Amino acid sequence: MSAQPDGEIIADGLVKRYGDFAAVDGVSFKVNTGEIFGFLGPNGAGKSTTVIMLTTLALPTSGRATVGGFDVVTQANEVRRIAGVALQEIGLDKIMKSMELLTIQGQLFGATRKQAQNRAEELLALVKLSEFVDRPVGKYSGGMRRRLDLAMALVHQPQVLFLDEPTTGLDPASRRDVWNEVRRLNRDFGITILLTTQYLEEADELADRIAIIDRGQIRVEGLPAELKAALGSESINIAFKDDESVTRAASEMAGMFDKVQIDRKTLRLYRAKAAEIIPEVVTRLNTAGLVPVALTLTAPTLDDVFLQVTGQSFEEDAKSDIKTPSADSADKKPAQRGFGRRKSA
Amino acid sequence: MTAIASPRLAAPVARRETMPFLIQVTTMTWRTLLTNIRVPAVILPPLIISGFFLLVYNSTLSGAANFFLRDQPYLGFILPLSIVSAALSGASVAGTSIVRDIESGYYDKLMLTPINRAALLLGPMIAGAILLAAQTVVVVGIALLLGLQPVTGFLGLLAVIGIALLLGVGFSGFTVGIALRTGSAAATSGASFLFFPLSFLTATFVPYELLTGWIKTAAFWNPITYILDAMRAILNLGWETDTILRGIGSCLVLGVVLFVWAYTGLRSRSKRK
Repeated sequence: MSAQPDGEIIADGLVKRYGDFAAVDGVSFKVNTGEIFGFLGPNGAGKSTTVIMLTTLALPTSGRATVGGFDVVTQANEVRRIAGVALQEIGLDKIMKSMELLTIQGQLFGATRKQAQNRAEELLALVKLSEFVDRPVGKYSGGMRRRLDLAMALVHQPQVLFLDEPTTGLDPASRRDVWNEVRRLNRDFGITILLTTQYLEEADELADRIAIIDRGQIRVEGLPAELKAALGSESINIAFKDDESVTRAASEMAGMFDKVQIDRKTLRLYRAKAAEIIPEVVTRLNTAGLVPVALTLTAPTLDDVFLQVTGQSFEEDAKSDIKTPSADSADKKPAQRGFGRRKSA
Repeated sequence: MTAIASPRLAAPVARRETMPFLIQVTTMTWRTLLTNIRVPAVILPPLIISGFFLLVYNSTLSGAANFFLRDQPYLGFILPLSIVSAALSGASVAGTSIVRDIESGYYDKLMLTPINRAALLLGPMIAGAILLAAQTVVVVGIALLLGLQPVTGFLGLLAVIGIALLLGVGFSGFTVGIALRTGSAAATSGASFLFFPLSFLTATFVPYELLTGWIKTAAFWNPITYILDAMRAILNLGWETDTILRGIGSCLVLGVVLFVWAYTGLRSRSKRK
């Protein structure tokens, strides 16, 4: 095991059962040192359960996993020393102040009080909370608490960072802040990051590689661009003045595309390498005497990938889907794009 | 895409040494004290209740008590009840501190460090004991203002405070055990209900010898009876070794049983499932 690079995460056939229900059902993947790995899936897919097993908080029912070469079952303390964890539910004592929380956490990892205080100051500056040290954490906003939680995970200078839905419940500006921080930690310090998210945009934005998990199993894994190229399809979107033109245009395009969709006055045409067929589309429109208002080409998205592998799409308005941690219940829910359980058309 | 060009931090990444156990316990104790002092609602009620009991019982019952106390001061008889009440209700500090951490998720944050699991139990219990000692000193102070004159002097007062601490720390094991098993604040505060049978099914207002019927049987099995007896002896009669040892013994038995209850709760909470 010692030959393994220090930030590597390996899951091999991980299973977690609660009675008859398999929350995680044979998950295997490998995260390379220094990589940002996005673990993408809807609520209840098994993301958090995988994370609590990898971070030693729960035992796998079967299967094996190592973090930095250390077995999560038999070498739990070693894993704790090299892994930083920010769980979905922010675990901060609201009566305490940020400096106190960070100092205690540092001391418990073996630092002296002075060392822990210095580290705390460094981290507070890093997450831009230096000016709020005298305020109890209970008076922090949701975004500030998330950033402090991230700082808590970094106290012992971990080589591996587990971030379980780090931006759920955050407003768009705070989400950006967290993204920038995650990128910086990975770029400047080479920290391996396993990030779970239910937001396609987040995975696309941050992850070097992604795995899509659904109902406890990994459905697909790879580079976002490759997955989109292989499983997604481009779409040509043509807008018209009136409904009649849309219907006529749709019949003109019969047989040319994998899927034809009418979205009010816009015709959406899906197929691989759609760009190559634009001249033919324009010719047919001309022949039929149809004049479009606009014509655009949309690159494939991770939603297409997800749709392909799970048969589900995500909803534009994910209000019903966004789980806001109770600690942040006062926070404004963001209009983020998340997975829903709606069957695609 | 995955290659990281920037150099790693030169700083040591994971320290191999662990914080010494005693310092872990001290750190956890300090933290519990800090959070409780910031929320006086936790520590003030037991103090107010005890002070209130002392004033009211002393004023209303001291005249009537002469017939059974035979010139012993009633204050020395009733003060132990106030102290025991404070110890039993104040013992919930440890349990409520732990359950608050479980509910906030901070307990998980601590579990992600290489902390010794016993420190998670001992910290809050010791902090509870310190707060309890402070409360007991205040209650004794009120009694002194009301004219308490213990026959064993200052040493006697220290002994009474010591017995109260022993009882309080032991009884805190009960609420801690409930907190760790249920992780619920409601269940933990509900658990202090046990305070009532313990405080009142005993020689609460009159000596044990004057009790009759079922209450006498209940008092016989209630360890608080012997603890009250010991404190009353110290304050009113002198160093009566047998009575005092019975009281201390009762504290120890109660403490050991409840500590085992708390520790098995910790084991089941810390065990990864």
